[in-house]
Amino acid sequence: MAAVLPIHYPRSLLRAFDILPVEVWGPPRVSTDYGAAHLQPYLCSIVHNALSFLLSGGLDITEVLVVPHACDSLQGLGSILLDFISPKQAVLPVYLPRGTRESDIAFFAQELRSVYDRLQALTGRSPTEGELMDCIEREEAADLLLIQLHRCHKTLPLTDFAFYRLVRSREYLPAEQFATLAQEVLARGEALSPDGIPLVISGILPEPMSLLDALQGMGGRIVADDLACCGRRLYPPGESDDPFRRMAERIIHAPPDPTRGGLLSARLNHLLGLVEANEAKGLVFYLVKFCEPELFDLPDLRQELRQAGIPSLTIEVDVNNPVSQGVLNRLEAFLEMIG
Amino acid sequence: MSLCRELRYHWYVNLLGRTGLRVRRWQATWQAKSSSRWKSEVLTPPLKISAWTKELIGRHYLKGNYANLHNKVTWVTSGAPVEFLQALGFYILYPENHAAVCGTVRLAEEIASQAENAGFSQDICSYARTDLGTVISGKTPVGRLPRPDLLVACTNICQTVLLWYRVLSHRLDVPLILIDTPFIYSQVTDHAVEFVKRQIEEAIPTAEKVAGKSLKMYKLEEVAKLGLQASELWLEVIERAQHRPAPISVFDQFIHMAPIVEMRGNPGTVDFYAAMLREVDERIAQGIGVIKEEKKRLLWDNLPIWYRLRFLAEFLGRRGVAVVASTYTNAWGELSRLIEVSRPIESMARTYIFIILNRGTGDKLSVMKRMVEDFHLDGAILHSDRSCKSYSIGQLDQRDRLMREVGVPALLLEADHNAPRAFSEEQVSNRLAAFVEMLGV
Repeated sequence: MAAVLPIHYPRSLLRAFDILPVEVWGPPRVSTDYGAAHLQPYLCSIVHNALSFLLSGGLDITEVLVVPHACDSLQGLGSILLDFISPKQAVLPVYLPRGTRESDIAFFAQELRSVYDRLQALTGRSPTEGELMDCIEREEAADLLLIQLHRCHKTLPLTDFAFYRLVRSREYLPAEQFATLAQEVLARGEALSPDGIPLVISGILPEPMSLLDALQGMGGRIVADDLACCGRRLYPPGESDDPFRRMAERIIHAPPDPTRGGLLSARLNHLLGLVEANEAKGLVFYLVKFCEPELFDLPDLRQELRQAGIPSLTIEVDVNNPVSQGVLNRLEAFLEMIG
Repeated sequence: MSLCRELRYHWYVNLLGRTGLRVRRWQATWQAKSSSRWKSEVLTPPLKISAWTKELIGRHYLKGNYANLHNKVTWVTSGAPVEFLQALGFYILYPENHAAVCGTVRLAEEIASQAENAGFSQDICSYARTDLGTVISGKTPVGRLPRPDLLVACTNICQTVLLWYRVLSHRLDVPLILIDTPFIYSQVTDHAVEFVKRQIEEAIPTAEKVAGKSLKMYKLEEVAKLGLQASELWLEVIERAQHRPAPISVFDQFIHMAPIVEMRGNPGTVDFYAAMLREVDERIAQGIGVIKEEKKRLLWDNLPIWYRLRFLAEFLGRRGVAVVASTYTNAWGELSRLIEVSRPIESMARTYIFIILNRGTGDKLSVMKRMVEDFHLDGAILHSDRSCKSYSIGQLDQRDRLMREVGVPALLLEADHNAPRAFSEEQVSNRLAAFVEMLGV
């Protein structure tokens, strides 16, 4: 089993080595004491929690620790794990290129080859290209179901909490098990649109998840998202016959994500598209404190959404804190304003 | 460019401006000869070359004031490969350096507040906030900044710069060239170097299109050669601080590093550092140190605290402590050995991927350990810089290892390179006083 830190990584490559990736988005609500011995307080709670959870033995069941290069903080975490902390797990950093150019795809394919080499040395296995391609196709099938779930989000007979519990099971379930669950829900067919003011949510992750129930209780509902753990990882199928290139294409062609570079206008257009396609009345930026990739884009996105007549609200949280009354009051006021 | 615009440029920059700055330099040099004007009980008078530094920086920003009349303009990150841009005749502006200038003249806070009013969080880099504040308000201590025709962001110093330049590109509607340099966790891979090389090769036609001219290889080699000479000289200058008493402190280095960052491919920069080296050698020959009585010597890690340089120099100097080595200023010289003038693009790829901030935290510890030995240091101050996560992460472990493995005391000092609000003078004084006491001064 591999513990995988946010955000983008090659699931199929790990599965080809018979390693199950289990994602570590924090996790929320753990003691940060262990992490504080190595990290400054001005880093986000996801990075603090991940290190604390690892050092407190929460990841002892895993043999590999994958650290994708999503931001300066995760870069630093990967580096101190390798240089100073040396956990019992093998640490595998993966560098993600910041563009969508041909050179980015070529580099990333090479980077994935070197991850393959490291996994080969670690496990003693050597999956063939055919086996790798089988894994890729299995993940692609699961991801297509994930895309379908997101597309049908607003008409599925699920509460927001149930919907996100389902789509976030992709963070730890094997593709085939996730696919079974997803097919089962999709087979239930569409329901009448539930009541509630339709919203798009953007940010890193919807934690604490109780927020979703609270939001629905106030008369709001999420109809689409631009969350790093969900909507930004709707990977399209790749095209190449070369498995490494194909895995690279999938991640590089995913929806816009500031941690992967790209133009701000592309991200804005994506958000406008989500709002329009789902007839949302407003957008909530639900951010984790100290997250620079989110914070830099925010002023321009909000201003241009405003110009397009789309109201937005910014909420900043620490994933260790429960949903505060202050946050709930602001959400309620926002819903009243747009409802 | 019309004749009228060219005439205006040359009138203001090369005639009036140049003459004015030269006169000011002569005045400052003349005044510096009279050491009675120097008001410090603990610090020796600054290097005479300081007047030249001011002239170079002044001239650089003066050119910037009128650059849109004469050149194509590019804004670049401080670690970006600029040789091809320089060879294409771009006026090159470093927003980070401009922000540092704002910090040293205590204007950063006021300018950054303009960005905060526009919605930018106080949790983003204070250089970025200062720069965005200038873009939004036009406020700057250097007259005005030229509008860019091209932006170049290189991720070898942090990912923050890409986030920042995406905003600039969006707001100013200017093309952005990205040079993405994969982080070196342990060993650099061939495919990473090849990736950087390929991006530089791809960037050249874009830059040529904006510049309206083709890159001449001989020109690129000339710029690379001058950059190499300047880097070698800079390294020699800062390594002179190995002498006891140290003829130059890191606070001097922070000020005099501006030309190696902003103008490293210029012939004038080579002349400048050659003269600086001569003056530093004269100080060594005369036994002049940066403080009047040097008792202990320290390392500085991370960016400077631009708005408190004099305070820190005085505070430590009063206690006989000279800060003589810095991982930050060293970064502009340590890679000169990788520059190959005859293979400029390949060597650019290799050099720029190896910048200290693009290497692992263990590698930075090795640099610190080497400096402790080479510079005969008694301790280290690690500036834990809120605004620079890529430099600061790892410092807690680095501090512990310095103490445990090298046996030198090390202090983690919380501040921010350009945000005075994150600097508590009382708290810093207390921590520094306790640290100095621990050094046995």
